[in-house]
Amino acid sequence: MERQEIIDGLIEVLRTVRTVDPAKLEHVTEDTDFLTDMNTPSTELINIAAKVEQKFDIEFEDEDIDEMGSKVRDVVDLIIKVKARGEAEKGESA
Amino acid sequence: MTAVNGRKVAIVGMAGAFPDCENLSVFNEKIFSGKSLIREWPLAVERNTQIRSMVSGYIDDNDMGLEPIYLIDGYEWPETFVDTLNRIPAINLATADLGSVWAMIGALESIEMAGWTTAETQSEKTGVVVASGGGGHVILRHAWHAFYERGKKSRAAGSHTVDRAMSYREAANISCLIRNKGVCESIISACATGLGNIGYAYRLIKYGMQDRAIAGGVEGTALETFIGFDAMQVLSKGFAPAESSRPFDMKRNGFVCSFGAGIVALEEYEMAKARGANILAVIDDYFNNSDGDGDMFYPSYNGQIRLWKGLSENTHIKPDVVKVHGTATPVGDILELISVVDTLGEEGYHISAPKSQFGHMLGAAGAVELVTSILMLQNQQVPPCINSDTLNPELEKFQLKEGWEGSMKPAAAYRHLIPQETVNKEINQIVCLNYGFGGTNSAMAISRDNS
Repeated sequence: MERQEIIDGLIEVLRTVRTVDPAKLEHVTEDTDFLTDMNTPSTELINIAAKVEQKFDIEFEDEDIDEMGSKVRDVVDLIIKVKARGEAEKGESA
Repeated sequence: MTAVNGRKVAIVGMAGAFPDCENLSVFNEKIFSGKSLIREWPLAVERNTQIRSMVSGYIDDNDMGLEPIYLIDGYEWPETFVDTLNRIPAINLATADLGSVWAMIGALESIEMAGWTTAETQSEKTGVVVASGGGGHVILRHAWHAFYERGKKSRAAGSHTVDRAMSYREAANISCLIRNKGVCESIISACATGLGNIGYAYRLIKYGMQDRAIAGGVEGTALETFIGFDAMQVLSKGFAPAESSRPFDMKRNGFVCSFGAGIVALEEYEMAKARGANILAVIDDYFNNSDGDGDMFYPSYNGQIRLWKGLSENTHIKPDVVKVHGTATPVGDILELISVVDTLGEEGYHISAPKSQFGHMLGAAGAVELVTSILMLQNQQVPPCINSDTLNPELEKFQLKEGWEGSMKPAAAYRHLIPQETVNKEINQIVCLNYGFGGTNSAMAISRDNS
């Protein structure tokens, strides 16, 4: 999965989060910060994580979320990492 | 704690969420023209092999200007609501279940009607006392389903299970929206909740602890709530929707489970008067007690007689209308009728049972029925007790039991007290009665402002 594809999917998720101002989703880059640039309430971050899990068909570990930074780049990196981990596990069990 | 001498409490604003009504004026029009707000409930009909009762006074999201938003993978539970009329910011909607959204809208409308300034609303002397009867069932069902059935991590339930389902969610959401700095609490007492919260807020002002309060009761739509009562076989069954709620009628076989919200703005009387507020009603007094019979469900004649005695202790009680609890359950209605008659006599007032028109709103009942009573004062009209077609010419079973101390006349002897058409008359005082499981009883007397 390409990074831009993941960002597009992420923006799609963010559009369903009512507390995120849609205007702030117009120019999202990897450097955009959820807390400082998008004013996302911290209680919403966990909802975003849960929705990202659904959208990308992955499951984060609790530590993944504890250690995740607040920039779009951090989330994209994590999604790639967790996807790779999932595929590796699938490979092992096959 | 005693009441502060000379301190009175005025009702200066009111609002609510009413079944099959877009707003308060539509509600007013329908109630006093004798309409029923009860309809077949699609959510119950969808499960008609599992549920006995098929009717409810339920509220359409459209009528409230709300649009539910569902999760991206198409769950049946709305994740949140959009306020299509832009009254409530998204950040407040995020922490609210449906009942709390109604409560917030009601609070804003009540404050607007009251004419409070922002400084008054946000004062340390402004409190919020609002609650609902039921728990946050819909929210919890979603949370538990994701955890237990789908085996998901706790976060799959979302981060708003607590704020959207906690017992005082309506008060908390209103307070975060209006930013008052006085008390924020909920008084929870089953079907006496609506009147109980307003009664408690009245005392806060009467006793000098607050100058203003947003108070009321809410019952957000929840099939779970309905199922609980349906399982007890206490819900109305077998009538056309508009004929389903039949207080006092011989054929009544249970109440209609409904949903809604009633919110009022209370203010210390002299302050309201001094700023030229429109005083909708004055609260003469509030009193509540318990049956003491050790029975969770069965209504208590003695408990109700003591309720009237307590209400009359410090204030002159001579109501032109008695707004009864009157749910249309087989025992409750006539026992209540007799406790009223044995207290007030057989002439000189009317009995109003508004549940005949909108059903039993549980935790919202006392509040919505108080709003209905304020409308009676404004209109100088008593709405009809619809479907009270035939009153029993025979004695009730409880009147034949050994130890019965009340009237030995049948319900039919009191036909003249229970109007079947809207009555125009001078109304100066109304007594409102509500009771709840657990043997809790509440009474409030309100009057027209006569100064």
